[in-house]
Amino acid sequence: MSSTLGLSWDQHHLGQEVQMGSVARRSFASENVVNRDHALPNPSWNKDLRLLFDQFMRKCEAGSWKRLPSNNHSPQSFQDFQTRFVDPKLPKEQISQARLFTRSFEDGLGFEYVMFCNDAEKRVVCFFQAGPYLQGAPGFTHGGAIATMIDATTGMCAFRAGGVVMTANLNINYKRPIPLCSVVVMKSQIDKVEGRKVFVSCNVRSVDEETLYSEATSLFIKLDPNKKLA
Amino acid sequence: MLRRGCRVSAGLFRAPRIAPGLRSSTDALVSRFCPEKTDLKDYALPNASWCPDMLSLYQEFLEKTNSRSWIKLPSFKSNRDHIQGLKLPSGLVAATDKGDWRIFTRCIPVAGQGYEYVIFFHPAEKKSVCLFQPGPYLEGAPGFAHGGSLAAMMDETFSKTAYLAGEGLFTLSLNIRFKNLIPVGSLAVLNVQVEKIEDQKLYMSCVAQSRDQQTVFAKSSGVFLQLQLEESSQ
Repeated sequence: MSSTLGLSWDQHHLGQEVQMGSVARRSFASENVVNRDHALPNPSWNKDLRLLFDQFMRKCEAGSWKRLPSNNHSPQSFQDFQTRFVDPKLPKEQISQARLFTRSFEDGLGFEYVMFCNDAEKRVVCFFQAGPYLQGAPGFTHGGAIATMIDATTGMCAFRAGGVVMTANLNINYKRPIPLCSVVVMKSQIDKVEGRKVFVSCNVRSVDEETLYSEATSLFIKLDPNKKLA
Repeated sequence: MLRRGCRVSAGLFRAPRIAPGLRSSTDALVSRFCPEKTDLKDYALPNASWCPDMLSLYQEFLEKTNSRSWIKLPSFKSNRDHIQGLKLPSGLVAATDKGDWRIFTRCIPVAGQGYEYVIFFHPAEKKSVCLFQPGPYLEGAPGFAHGGSLAAMMDETFSKTAYLAGEGLFTLSLNIRFKNLIPVGSLAVLNVQVEKIEDQKLYMSCVAQSRDQQTVFAKSSGVFLQLQLEESSQ
């Protein structure tokens, strides 16, 4: 399977070569869906999000942090998941239309985010800008959109530490509502691993760290490659 | 399965105490929520993407609305069209609406691709049923709905139930135990119940399962903050 890296969007403004991470897999969909890396600045990113991105790209140079590329399929290798866990008779037409939920939107309308990981410390940081299609209470971000990003961030943290995992529990305390179209910093870390259980915690703060928006704990279960899911 | 208790936070999310007599009755809230005439498009209506299970269960509940014991809730594009007249707790500033906002659960406008759902509310027993069919744009693990999409559907059903049962709006906490994945395009039935209303908070529980109740997808509990009305007269 050949691979293509779309390089048509700008390198971020410091002029550094953007780290593309692992080779992007060409989508097998019949329509030509370019396997774009969404975890890169685009015109919808506001100043806060760009500054945080730049700050962490500098940390990547120092070595311990790594930017995680993000296309519109699940981070786990699709074929890997398909053959190991799911009935291969799942209809292909249904799959080819599918998009990873957090990447199902046009630029700026839904979830704009980038994750960085520090594998040595078992941490994942996510910078998240909530777009106008994520409305909850008027003027604020939907609790379910926040839950989705917490699930995605803690899930990535668990995946980096423990391989293919599934969410078992998600427990979120919402301290203050997040204004719509603002940027927040989500920091997650592995609390402990017990056999197949991976415990992750996360907090969500404003860019200046002065406001704590939410706190969460999650439990993920490492999937057993010998057992099918469905 | 490990369960964490719901720790409800106070602090900035504290609203002033309201004497029970000043709260709107559920009937008043319901009739404000369900306008007789409106130009707004109601997304909570059957379309070609609805699977047979969803269509038939919808029909069953629609028949129950004749006796007014159940109410079908409309679902508009912006939550501003639903939620009006509540006073935000002091210290909170909402972002300014530029008019292009969409409620999260109606974020994907193409029929069948995102959230397909309809909520029926039972005022007397303060409970709701949400019929939810996740589309291919809600995918997480290949072929299955993203856990976050179910979390959002639960949060939204909790929110509307809390609003009609007691002027609740903001989520204080959400605790979800996932059991089984929902295949994209299939029906999940969410049953939400208000357990108690205490200290300006609404406590609710939810079970999401298959129509035949043989598969439980997830169970959750949610706590929502009661708000005060802007106008005191009803």
